[in-house]
This record gives sequence, C-alpha cells and structure tokens, in this order.
Amino acid sequence: MPKVTYIEFNGDEYVLNIDPGLSVMEGAVNNNVGGIIAECRGACSCATCHVYVDPSWVSRIGEKNDTEASMLECVCDPQPNSRLACQIKVTEQLEGLVVRLPQKQT
Amino acid sequence: MTTENAVYWDPYRPEFWMNPYPVFKRLRQEAPLYRNEQYDFYALSRFSDVERGLTDKDSFSSSRGDILEYIKAQMPRPKGLFIWEDPPLHTVHRGVLSRVFTPRRMNELEGKIRAYCARCLDPLVGAGGFDFVKDLGAEMPMRVIGMLLGIPEEDQVGIREKVDAALRTEAGKPLQASQVRNSGEEFAEYIDWRAKHPSSDLMSDLLQVEFQDETGTRRKLTREEILIFVNLLAGAGNETTTRLIGWTGKVLSEHPGQRAELVENPTLIPNAIEELLRFEPPGPSVARYVMKDVEIHGQTVPAGTAMLLLVAAANRDESRYPDGDRFDIHRKGPPHITFGRGIHACLGAALARIEGRVALDEVLKRFPNWTADLDNAKLSSTSTVRGWDTLPAFTGGGGRNAVRREAAPAATTESAIAQPTAGTEGWELTLSAPMGPQVMTAHIVRNGESFSGTMSSAEMTAQEISGTVSGNTLSWTLPLTKPVAIKLGFEAAIEGDKIAGEVKLGMFGKGALTGKRI
Repeated sequence: MPKVTYIEFNGDEYVLNIDPGLSVMEGAVNNNVGGIIAECRGACSCATCHVYVDPSWVSRIGEKNDTEASMLECVCDPQPNSRLACQIKVTEQLEGLVVRLPQKQT
Repeated sequence: MTTENAVYWDPYRPEFWMNPYPVFKRLRQEAPLYRNEQYDFYALSRFSDVERGLTDKDSFSSSRGDILEYIKAQMPRPKGLFIWEDPPLHTVHRGVLSRVFTPRRMNELEGKIRAYCARCLDPLVGAGGFDFVKDLGAEMPMRVIGMLLGIPEEDQVGIREKVDAALRTEAGKPLQASQVRNSGEEFAEYIDWRAKHPSSDLMSDLLQVEFQDETGTRRKLTREEILIFVNLLAGAGNETTTRLIGWTGKVLSEHPGQRAELVENPTLIPNAIEELLRFEPPGPSVARYVMKDVEIHGQTVPAGTAMLLLVAAANRDESRYPDGDRFDIHRKGPPHITFGRGIHACLGAALARIEGRVALDEVLKRFPNWTADLDNAKLSSTSTVRGWDTLPAFTGGGGRNAVRREAAPAATTESAIAQPTAGTEGWELTLSAPMGPQVMTAHIVRNGESFSGTMSSAEMTAQEISGTVSGNTLSWTLPLTKPVAIKLGFEAAIEGDKIAGEVKLGMFGKGALTGKRI
C-alpha cells in the first residue's frame, strides 16, 4: 500500500497507507485528517479538499481536467501546485507522495 | 427487549423537537435502523449510516424530493430544481451554479456582509437587548442574497423596491420558498432589464451562462429555469442561515465561558461556527427515496420506502465525536455532516459559513455578554429546518425593561380573533392538496372591496388573512410554514351558503377548493 504524507497547516504530519484506487481525499477523510472537509465527496463541486502538492511530485500526479482547474480558481489561497485531493487517484507510483494542507478550506 | 421499552419516535410531535437528542441517542444505540409503522418511514441515526445514505445516490435517491411528506405524496417536481434530481439531470443543472458559491468567491463578500451586520446591529447598541433572529438572522442573509442577485442601483430604484419587497420576510418569519416565485413578475421584469444591462452579479451570470442540457443541446437558461434557481437560492439560503444565527445566540448564551474566549480571541470564531453547525444543525434531517432493496443492520429496507437521514443524530455519534453532547468551540477532528455529503452537499455552505462567522464577530464586538430570554423565545420545527423564530436576548446596559416585548400585543390579537363578532362570516374550506384533503376554517369581515379575518386548521393556529372582494369572488393568500414554507393563493366564488374555487400551491400547481358556510 502506497504511503501518503499529509502535512496540516500547523505542521502536524500524518503518514498513511492508502489503498490503491482510492483518492488522496478519501485517504484523508477515512483517517480523519481534519484539514480536509470534502463535503461533496469527490463530485468536484465543493472545492473543500484543496491541497498543495509537494513541488517534487507535481509533474508525477497527472494533469487536472477542466472541471478541477475551474474549481481551483475558487479555492482559498490558490498556488501553482494547488490540486483537489478528490481528483488524485492513489497508485503504487505515488508511494511517498507529500501533500500540504492550506490554512483554511472555506 | 420488550415492546413497551422499545424506543418510539414520532417526528410530528412538536414537543419532541424541543430536545430531540436523548431520543436520537437511543435510536443510535437501540434502533440504528428505525422503522416507524405509523408514518411509514425508516430512519438512520449513526454517523456512518447517515453518511452512506447521503453518498449512495443509486440506493437513496433525491428524485422524489428530500422531504418525507413530499416523497410519500409523490409531489410533482419542477424541472431544474436540482436538489430534487438525480444524475445526469442533476449534474447539468447544479453544474451551472457550482462555481458561483465556492469558498473564495464567498469570502470576498466578507466586507459587504460586515456592512449589513453593522446596519442591523448599530442601532441596537445601548438598547439593552435585541433579537438574534428578528433583528439580525432574518435580515442580513436576505440582504446578501439580494446583493448576489445584483439588485440594481439608483437608476432602477423602482425595480429594486419591488424585488426587495419580494425578498423581504414578515417580522420573525423566514422568507417563504414560494414568495419569490409568486412575485415572479417583478423578477421577470428585472431579468429583462438585466439582460440588457449585464453586470457582474449572479443574475447576469445566469442570463449569460451556456451549458449542455440533458439532450446534448448547448443553450442558455430559460426565464422559467432562472426563476426556479432564484427561488431555490433565495429560499434555501435565507432560512437556514437565519436559524444558524438564532442557534448562535442561544447556545453561546448557555456557554458564557466559551463566549468570553471568543471575545478574547476572535480567531477561534470559524471553529466555533463549525461546532455550532455540528451541535445544532438548522436542517436536522433529510429524506431519500429507497430505489432498491438495501441491507442495513441485518434487515432489508425494501425499494419504494422513504428513508430519513438524521443529520442531527449523526453529528453527536459518540463513536465519531467523543462526548458528542458537549459543546466545545475547541473541538478538533472530523467535520460535521450538517451540509450533507456527496452530490447534493449544500451548495451554499461557504456562504453560510462566512455569514455565520461575520455575524458572530460583529455581535461580539458590540455585545460581549448576553442572556437569551427563552421565556419569550419561540422555537419552531418544520419538515426542513429547526430553529428559533424569535430569540430575544438581554445585553445589559438598558436593563431588562429596555428589551422590546411583543408578547402583550400578540396575546391581545389572539383573544380578539378567538371570538368572531357580528358581521363575521364563517366558512369551512376543503383544499384538495397533493398530500390529501385539508380542512381549514376561515372567519372574515368584509369592508367594501376588501376583507380581513383569520384562517386556522387542526395543524395550524389562527393566522391573519386579508384579501379582496370582487362581486361574489374572494381572493386572498396564506403563508404556511408546515409541512413546508409555501404561500397559498386562494380564489373562490360564493353561491349562497357554498363556496368553490381553486388554490394555488406555489411551485406545486393548483388544487380545488370547496366549502360551506358555518
């Protein structure tokens, strides 16, 4: 099972083993990572599972589609490495992925 | 367990809703899949079950509505009302609005929301008290929605006043869901004007947006669809946030220590609002239609039944929220489920959050202490929301006597209407409504081309009505809050001791009206 590291805004770190096939968002909510709300649970319509992907991983997690890109314009404090965690599927290739959580989702 | 000890829950007993939590706790523990034979529904109360019910859209559908009475009555549903649609239609209609209410856009409204709060609260400083609902909760969210819709400025004062009036709530009452639609002409006029004068507001967005409809055609929204959207946004956005602000006043009055912490450290406010949303959700339950047989806790819930998802019970599930009956603004851990989950998760969540935070902040700046006057507060519960219709609070300064009391005149009115006087006509009216025939009583006094009086029923205390007389035809309206907020429009002709006509049921069409003199 790939390990994904979630770093909360206050520095708290969670290193979690996530089943391949789940999304980075599902990995977080299944393990009660508080900094991700994900009210729409993957429908890409609430913009509350915003994460900053560690720069070393940006090119390795795949492209965002138009819907995600348009929702990302609407998150709090967007950055070039912003993604919606619900749109990143965990695969074996993502072993060691690091994402940081924003100061606030809403 | 013996039958007499089995937990029984009747959601239609008004006193139940004063404090539903002990029963919800028993449901979670003793009957996680609850079956009510009398009203023919199932209910889920544990967090994991409620969450599943909200996200498993193939088993639990919104296509027959999200209110128990509607699902059972098989109400007709206007097209475009996406809260009552499944994919793919839902995806099309909600998609049109998905970007409008996102967190950053809503947070950009903060300054304007503060200004509306200040307008509500500044005149009350030094008054000794104010009403969290009437003075703030029922006012500010309405203003914000009005602004989002882009109510025009000075050059269109006429339209603004009409639209404003359409959005204005009666004192102490939430906006009626049907109000906007029944005032559709003013909106239609405004839509025409806005189509020629586009701006950066929501109405302009709705007029300009192009989308691919369910037939694959790329098109703009029709005026009818825009009216349905506006109706939904105005109704849904107003009433729930009104309730959140009422609960803020009540709960923090009972936790003065935590309130003092918020005064000291306003950065705790966002978490306090999340805790308020968990602790007293304005929408305590939602309903779904069961699409196929589902296995839950060893039992089969058959297709075709109605399922109530008890959000307010899930929010206090001890397995997820330790010591869940305790209010704690410092609570960490998993988010509440008040805004739902999945494709129907509350579209206005980000707006509700910023409104709740700013309202609390602006209250605390002016009134660091208050005591809710629960003796004069009124709690109501409809099929969709639970909260305070009025929540007066003492804020010190002017002292108790300075609080504006309205109980006395209200009582006078009630005793006056209880005794019909000379010149009064009494009518027993039967409405054929989608949920079955409804019997109501009306007492009226005519005065030339107008009349006034009251209407009541077994479920409804006397409400004042007024209307017009044209020949032998009477026309009047009646705002209802139960089972849903809806404005009924009556038109009926009198023939001797009989009366007959029709009643407009807001977005649910029309029903026949018959009656006799009493």
